[in-house]
Amino acid sequence: MIAKTLRDYRRALIGWTIGISAFMGLYLAVYGSVKENPEVYGPQAMAKFPGALKDLMGGMEDFTSGAGYLQSVVYQLFVPFLFLACAMLIANRALAQPEEDGTLELVVTLPIDRKRLVLERFAALVIGLGAVAAMTLLVTWGLAETMEMGVPFDRILAAHTGVLLVGLFFGAVTLAVGAATGRKGPAMAVTGVWAVLGYVVVTVGRSVDAIAWLKWLSPFHYYASGQPLQQGLPVGEYLVLTGAAAVLALTAVLAFDRRDVGV
Amino acid sequence: MAGMTAVVRAEGLTKYYGKRRGLEDLDLEIQPGEIFGYLGPNGSGKTTTIRLMLDVIRPTRGTVSVLGTGSREAAVRARIGYLPGELALEGREKARDYLEFLGKVRGGVPAGRIGALAERLDADLGVPMGKLSKGNKQKVGLIQAFMHEPEFLILDEPTSGLDPLVQQEFLTMLREVRASGRTVLMSSHVLAEVEHVSDRVGIVRAGRLVAVENVSALREKAVRRVELHFDAPVPAEAFDGLPGVRDLRVAGASVRCTIDGRPDALIKTAARFTVVHLVSEEPDLEEIFLTYYSDEGRHDDRQDVA
Repeated sequence: MIAKTLRDYRRALIGWTIGISAFMGLYLAVYGSVKENPEVYGPQAMAKFPGALKDLMGGMEDFTSGAGYLQSVVYQLFVPFLFLACAMLIANRALAQPEEDGTLELVVTLPIDRKRLVLERFAALVIGLGAVAAMTLLVTWGLAETMEMGVPFDRILAAHTGVLLVGLFFGAVTLAVGAATGRKGPAMAVTGVWAVLGYVVVTVGRSVDAIAWLKWLSPFHYYASGQPLQQGLPVGEYLVLTGAAAVLALTAVLAFDRRDVGV
Repeated sequence: MAGMTAVVRAEGLTKYYGKRRGLEDLDLEIQPGEIFGYLGPNGSGKTTTIRLMLDVIRPTRGTVSVLGTGSREAAVRARIGYLPGELALEGREKARDYLEFLGKVRGGVPAGRIGALAERLDADLGVPMGKLSKGNKQKVGLIQAFMHEPEFLILDEPTSGLDPLVQQEFLTMLREVRASGRTVLMSSHVLAEVEHVSDRVGIVRAGRLVAVENVSALREKAVRRVELHFDAPVPAEAFDGLPGVRDLRVAGASVRCTIDGRPDALIKTAARFTVVHLVSEEPDLEEIFLTYYSDEGRHDDRQDVA
């Protein structure tokens, strides 16, 4: 079942791998000119940006060093959201989309326990997303070496693992809402709203006392606050993300097991 | 034990979708080896019953067991073949690959079976499923339902979208299933589709099972139009008030009427004259079917049921 599910996802996974790699290629290629013209992209230049925009981009305090550039341009906003979108679309293909299409009818009448069905589809999501992460990690590392960014592999690995976990967390959100409702619209809405608000809370909202505490509900807090590119693997934070994804997957299992399908 | 246990046993089976009634208080037993025709108009509760048996949806009240076990047991579904009423097949995957996958998960599909069934039904399995025509999708659906030779076949509107030649082949396959002692539940909104193969029919309307009949008994109750032609004009009084004769019209040397049930009295009366020509239509079970509806259904509130 897992193998079959992965085969179904194959085209999408390859597409996302190529897309994210192309994004990396495009943005990291620009680093060459950034490094050579630090005065253009240096702190003085950055000071011209509106504060809120800088906050939204994670501060942009250090744009010219390899790690700083990689953090601001790649790992701050774009790549986590690309992973998140990939995870959301793949997770919807597990239950909600086939349920809306009607193709889930034959699958749930196979001699497979429903709990096992959800777990296997989640496992396929983990493996598929892991494969996309592994491929794009190699591409990023290769590009970083080529552009002589001076960021060691283990730091890139640490950041990339965080991106994978953020994607996995939101994939599990999509899966859980899809498993409970059988509809991909609500699943995407909940995921999208959670992602955008979660991101805003840890960036712009950081300085607003009234909402700063909400960061505890934001997966981005556990991803970015450990500064994986600068500090290495934040084990505790990543464990929180992993645990949350597991809890959500379990919620999906229980929700789907007790529900009427396709009504 | 297998010979004795009912293949389906539903007791007080009830399903509401919110406030909307899907099925109300169904009591039904289907015995091993029988072909049960499940009849009703679209939205009467046929599909609801079938999906309850397969644990796709869960009853509001009551219980249903299939092949001697509760419907919640996943393992029992390997012994069932199911053709959904609204079969959806999508994507780029070839039908053959999908069938092989289903066969592997269910087990019990010998090599070559899929190809043989495809040949019988004249199905093209090399086409991506999203590109199959409605008729071809239905054929793929039939193949997956029959391919593991299940003990119990549940077919929801199996003949929809099939051309007449394929329908004939499908009926032959059903008779083979019966000959091997296996059981079939097949739904339809047209009685003519099931009357020739079914042993019993159940009629469901607005979520309630209103009648279960043997097909032979049903045929005995059937309304039949008869036309008799004689060599000379006959007196109308001779045919007046015969038991079971309705809508009598005597015109010169011809008699036209409708008979309920047995034609015995009419034949004996006609035998007193010289009959030159006799036309008797096939009993129209559809008409009895409709009679059930108008009698039993009249007082039902017309709810929108699925």
